[in-house]
Amino acid sequence: MKYNSIIIGGGLSGLLAGIRLAKAGQKVAIISSGQSALHFSSGSFGLLGSVDGHSVTNPVEGIKNLPAVHPYSKVGAEKVISHAAEVKNLLSEAGLTFKGDATANHYHLTPIGRCRPAWLTLDDYATCEDLAAIKWKKVAIINFKGYLDFYPEFIADELKKKGIVSVSYTLSLPDLERLRKSSSEMRATAIAKYLKGDNLDLFATEINRVLTPDIDMVLIPAVVGLDSEKPLVDLRSKVKAPLSCVPVIPMSVGGLRCQMALRRYFESLGGVYFLGDSVSSGYMKAARMVSVETVNLAPVSLFADNFILATGSFFSHGLVAEPHKVVEPVFNLDVRVPSDRDEWFRKNLFEAQPFMEFGVDTDPQFRVKKDGKVIENVYAAGAILGGCNPLKEESGAGVATVTALEVADLILNQK
Amino acid sequence: MDKKHCKKHYDVIVIGAGATGAGTARDCAMRGLSTLLVERFDFTAGATGRNHGLLHSGARYAVTDRESATECIKENMILRKIARHCVEETGGLFVTLPEDDLEYQKKFVESCRLSGIDAEVIDPAEALRLEPAVNPDIIGAVKVPDGAVDPFRLTTANAISARQHGADILTYHEVVDLPVSNGRVTGVELLDRHTGERLVVDASLVINAGGIWGHLIAKKVGVTINMFPAKGALLIFGHRVNNTVINRCRKPADADILVPGDTISLIGTTSSRVPFDQVDNMDVTQEEVDVLLREGVKIAPSLAYTRILRAYAGVRPLVASDDDPSGRTISRGIVCLDHATRDGLEGFITITGGKLMTYRLMAEWATDMACRKLGHTGVCRTAETPLPGSEENVGEDKPRKSHIIEMSTDQLAAQGRHGSLSSEIEYKSDTDDALVCECEEVSVGEIKYAIDKLHVNNLVNLRRRTRLGMGTCQGGLCACRAAAILGNELGKRDEALCDLASFVNERWKGMMPVAWGQTLVEAQFTSWMYEGVCGLEPCKDNIKETHQQ
Repeated sequence: MKYNSIIIGGGLSGLLAGIRLAKAGQKVAIISSGQSALHFSSGSFGLLGSVDGHSVTNPVEGIKNLPAVHPYSKVGAEKVISHAAEVKNLLSEAGLTFKGDATANHYHLTPIGRCRPAWLTLDDYATCEDLAAIKWKKVAIINFKGYLDFYPEFIADELKKKGIVSVSYTLSLPDLERLRKSSSEMRATAIAKYLKGDNLDLFATEINRVLTPDIDMVLIPAVVGLDSEKPLVDLRSKVKAPLSCVPVIPMSVGGLRCQMALRRYFESLGGVYFLGDSVSSGYMKAARMVSVETVNLAPVSLFADNFILATGSFFSHGLVAEPHKVVEPVFNLDVRVPSDRDEWFRKNLFEAQPFMEFGVDTDPQFRVKKDGKVIENVYAAGAILGGCNPLKEESGAGVATVTALEVADLILNQK
Repeated sequence: MDKKHCKKHYDVIVIGAGATGAGTARDCAMRGLSTLLVERFDFTAGATGRNHGLLHSGARYAVTDRESATECIKENMILRKIARHCVEETGGLFVTLPEDDLEYQKKFVESCRLSGIDAEVIDPAEALRLEPAVNPDIIGAVKVPDGAVDPFRLTTANAISARQHGADILTYHEVVDLPVSNGRVTGVELLDRHTGERLVVDASLVINAGGIWGHLIAKKVGVTINMFPAKGALLIFGHRVNNTVINRCRKPADADILVPGDTISLIGTTSSRVPFDQVDNMDVTQEEVDVLLREGVKIAPSLAYTRILRAYAGVRPLVASDDDPSGRTISRGIVCLDHATRDGLEGFITITGGKLMTYRLMAEWATDMACRKLGHTGVCRTAETPLPGSEENVGEDKPRKSHIIEMSTDQLAAQGRHGSLSSEIEYKSDTDDALVCECEEVSVGEIKYAIDKLHVNNLVNLRRRTRLGMGTCQGGLCACRAAAILGNELGKRDEALCDLASFVNERWKGMMPVAWGQTLVEAQFTSWMYEGVCGLEPCKDNIKETHQQ
């Protein structure tokens, strides 16, 4: 099987690169082992929320202060911003409505009522323009009976600090009561499967029943709209006050929605998505990757002109740590990691952890290296690049998408 | 207990709520002494919560220390009766590897016989059949009555029993001073670690059961106990690799015991002297991890590719003989000191040395001495009276009607943890059966029970009582749920989030020395989950329990 480009890794980065290449007319395959970081998303994407512990209000400005090793610095500030704008377009084409843009961060509400900086937030998720104030006057916080992954009390406490009154209600639906009989089933994705059709009408009726006229915001746990945003649009039209979702403990319904919508869009452009498969080996000739074999398709090889490695960090097994070294498990590429394990970590988990910045070594065009030599047609995108602390910077989704579009452009602009 | 209910005067104040302190408080209370148990952190915060959880048969000491071995096997048989819900009768093996001297086995078996330990030489093939995880290359095997004991449960059960017999308990109260008047310790001055308040409580007798910290407590009144902190590091594996305790049949050395316990297995220990200023700061080093793994793999080869959940270390309170000021003669036996005869200070005794296995006997000795000194006549009944939770054969008497389980799995898990006390878990509201910790199957109801009845102030306390957060996710998913329940039940939600941050950090402390493979994946997930998705930040002024597992 022969493709123009093969992308290893089917998360946010791989999908965005695939969509960009397929839109340009390429024949593209994505090989995905399954879960990605999107499944654990907050429903918001960050581009750059903080640099060296100082919060960033305008990512365009913040990018200029990043070190040379940072993926954004390699892409270049101007191109980061143009890619970011393009990302929002592609997400929209995939059927995902986001609010926010790259020139001014907003904040999204977290499961414990805190505010985190964001670049894009799914339209149905709760946001605030700045940290000091939220415009709401009185908020109704709705939870489901027996649901433990959403914290109305913590949210109410935080809102109170901002001078916002809130009231909490616990609701239930007959189908959720049945779900609750199994003590481990009350989780976001399981609930989301029930919250459509008649159940959604019932839910809206229940919410409306407890609403008083002075309530100007209804917050519900983000457990609606798994396959698409339609159930939420319906719910919002039926509830008599503005309604927003607050992220909950993963699995993330919003994140799964993104994952599925992007995959559908990629496939609608002619892309091939091999789900549940992983690359077992690569065949190289001189300084180029010729083909790869996968676990499921072997002995058939997949050939391509270019390859993108978007397998993520440790979390997605793009990097694998052994007791005394870190390896890139697909091609055994060069990685930038200190040899002494004591230098990988800090004792306080909340400090910037060095391991968060580990990644594969690349040339300035994001082409990977093996034994010190550049592989001319294998590019890396997303978290596997390392060179930044996406958690501290709130830049994970930004790096994933911006570098995806950058390497896609590099491939498309090859002579 | 609230200190407002604290009496002005007690017959006995016991310092330290490890197994020995809780056991001593139980024995004193059962013999009719009015008793207060005080602890600067939580139950089991010291060496009690930081060991193998091995129900020693005594075989390990048979060759080198027959007295300890004899004590062990006696207490082993007692604990099987009085603490059945804390004990798992796994049996044990002493295996000889090709690199070990098989001659040692003869001496070992003979020493066991002399100590009263049932040791049976079996064929290595039979050993492999009994315990498939053992190294198939073994050249010798001996069966002994080892087992596993849960030190958290054991200590809690002793504390509950003490309370049932009228004792009062104050956790998070540190002894800052021992007031002395006319050559007599008259009680303790306590610092409430939550509020910063101080209070003085009088007692006819103060019993120092502070483990390695007992040295520092005695120092407050000018008494020197020659103690030597000996650090021992251990690794916890992500599942039960073995179902039988596996020991190396050789002179005791590093990493030669692999113990199954609940859902996990433990390899340990190393042994190294540490200075006193380090006893609150037990970090496991790379070298210790490497030794434990290298030696552990020899006992059970599958450890090489089993996920390591975390590493931790405890400090054994080794005591030098009084007649040897150089400290070279270390005793592993029980040391019970009357400071009146030894140091001319009345009203103060110290119980130390020994080991988890002999905690009950240590308590008996200390209580005997207390009774003698107070002129109290009371007979020790702790060897026959079952601990709360072990009174009856829970779940064993009733024949199962069918293969269909009549209880939910979390109720069964709770029964495993609390024995007959699990009947006290009330499922008051119909949401109390919701599952909080999926790895260890801890329900909302069990958490509420622990908060109500088991002196739970924070998530670490809750973990020690219920195993919440001890499983493969190391609190990644359940800690936030538990923090919300804890915050609501105790009415301190602000503290709950600070507590959540310190709990997540405390879990990381044990993961860091072994943070590779899935353990690093878990850590990265936990970071994203709490700092990224939730926006959680650590608090500065949170009470820090320096010595945590």
